[in-house]
Amino acid sequence: MEQPQAVSWVLLVYKIPREPTASRAQVWRKLKRLGALLLHDAVWVLPATPWTREQFQWLGVEIGELGGEAHLWEARLLLNGQNAELVQQFQARVDVAYQEILEDLLQEEPDLVALSRKYQQVRAQDYFHSELGRQVLKRLLQARGGFAS
Amino acid sequence: MKWVTWERVGVDRMACAWLITKYLDPAAEFLFVPTGYKPLPVDAEPFDIPGVRLSHHRGHCTFYTILREYDLHDPVLQHIARVIDEADTVQEVSLEPAAAGLDLICRGLCLVSPDDQAALERGRLIYDALYAQLASELIQEEQGKG
Repeated sequence: MEQPQAVSWVLLVYKIPREPTASRAQVWRKLKRLGALLLHDAVWVLPATPWTREQFQWLGVEIGELGGEAHLWEARLLLNGQNAELVQQFQARVDVAYQEILEDLLQEEPDLVALSRKYQQVRAQDYFHSELGRQVLKRLLQARGGFAS
Repeated sequence: MKWVTWERVGVDRMACAWLITKYLDPAAEFLFVPTGYKPLPVDAEPFDIPGVRLSHHRGHCTFYTILREYDLHDPVLQHIARVIDEADTVQEVSLEPAAAGLDLICRGLCLVSPDDQAALERGRLIYDALYAQLASELIQEEQGKG
């Protein structure tokens, strides 16, 4: 299957006062929730879309209000192959989470409520439309019953 | 009066325009400038642009800020603000299942609208509908209590 390629990336670089730790943790958790990748403990990356630009923009504003400073960039990778590698990293991460859901679905009496919620969270971070995600959706639909589609 | 925001409106700005026209300025005129464009027109109140008074604050959306700045205490509007908070930016805790759908619909509304002005106009019906439904649920809830 041909892999979808991001042409450009949004990068967020920020610093925030060490205290209060709650503010630091809050920003960190939002970045995790967005599914951003942290490169070299320095730069947070997302594929550039109008949506991701806006998410980083407002997070940057929030960091400023928390006494920090944020810079937001949009960039392309210049070195051969690195773009595909980065796409791969994003995909690998959601695939791990999808795989966990698939395995849990095979258990006896899986917790479908929890798994469907987890699926929705992973899908929100699935920027490159993983094939595994489609399988999870199919299994969840089957588990729900009714007509198989 | 005139109000200005960045072009290509989404869920928060559509909601803000609805709120402004309905509660603050029935004759509001909306202007749109390209993202990041400066200087902003001096004769217009800017909203949902980073750094201005009516913008995101402390992780809350602009709609929420407008309610606070203009002392709008209607509990239905407060509820809509919570939905838009979740629809517009990533939140750690999700409590409003309508949020994701609302975001999707507003984004789609821009796709089917010829320009931002038209998208705002059409968006009004969505927010009127959301308000009506949430208001009726609130009434039921209060009747249940009594």
